[in-house]
Amino acid sequence: MKKKQFGVVGLGTFGYNVAVELAKKGVQVLALDNDAEIVNKISELVTQALVVDATDEKAVLDAGIADCDSVVIAVGGIETSILATLIVKELKVKSVIVKCTSLWHSKVAAKLGADTVVYPEFEMAKKLVDGIITPNILEQIELSKDHSLAEIVVPKEFVGKTIRNSGIKSGYGLNIIAVRKQIPIVDDDGQTDIKEEVNMVPGADDEIHQGDVLVVVGSKDSLEKFKKVKEVK
Amino acid sequence: MSEKDIKNETDHMEVGKFYFVNNKYDEAVAEFKKVLEVNPNNSEAYYNIGLIYETSNNIDEAKKMYSKALAINPDYKTAREKLNKLIGLGDE
Repeated sequence: MKKKQFGVVGLGTFGYNVAVELAKKGVQVLALDNDAEIVNKISELVTQALVVDATDEKAVLDAGIADCDSVVIAVGGIETSILATLIVKELKVKSVIVKCTSLWHSKVAAKLGADTVVYPEFEMAKKLVDGIITPNILEQIELSKDHSLAEIVVPKEFVGKTIRNSGIKSGYGLNIIAVRKQIPIVDDDGQTDIKEEVNMVPGADDEIHQGDVLVVVGSKDSLEKFKKVKEVK
Repeated sequence: MSEKDIKNETDHMEVGKFYFVNNKYDEAVAEFKKVLEVNPNNSEAYYNIGLIYETSNNIDEAKKMYSKALAINPDYKTAREKLNKLIGLGDE
């Protein structure tokens, strides 16, 4: 089967890392930027790196962007990003992902036909705030408009109870799908450490321990209710 | 430090590790604190208390303890690795 080809236009911090991480996954990566120094720097890490002005339609075409299955537009300026998006869309690339720097930028990119818009600064800021406000929620992933999956440090009031008796399912309507535990160990040399274990099939009679991280699925309302439970301290 | 102090320090460390591996974290912390009363420069005791805080997902306190261990012993490799991981430096 033919290897998937990805293009990355714009090699600032975000684009550079996208290109490098894609290459690490073993896919073919074409990386473009108008800065010869950065192109030179990435050239040994990706399949091909070229100095190209992203607003020059012919240059972008000659670079081979049209052969890519998916292209990430990660150029900094809004005007350049919009022009680059337009050019790549007109080359009929199957999937165009645009990194946006503002809400208006993302709206324009969507109007131009971007298949996905990402707004990393906004998304990261939101995640950071969530982490500061509710430190016992380690991760939350939206599964649908109304449901999420979350990793929650077990609140103190549940420690010592079984999953059945904790009321997490019956009282809060949350399904525990896995439990992450930190297991203390002392090796033969007397060195202490901790290792992580994940119980992918938690039973109703399993006891909840201090420091356990529960991976739960439930409605956003249920999760909000659960977040209000006093945090572990 | 007298021989008696050294013995006390070692004994409390061993008892602390016993409690640690048996999930008796409060008791383990108490023993490691006794080690520090005998020898305030015992970096391993701070490191072990850090491990217990990390196990309990008390990350801020864990970071403080690893930092204290490193302040005493800057070459404490595992303490450095744990602290870097908690700060977000990962496997850099």
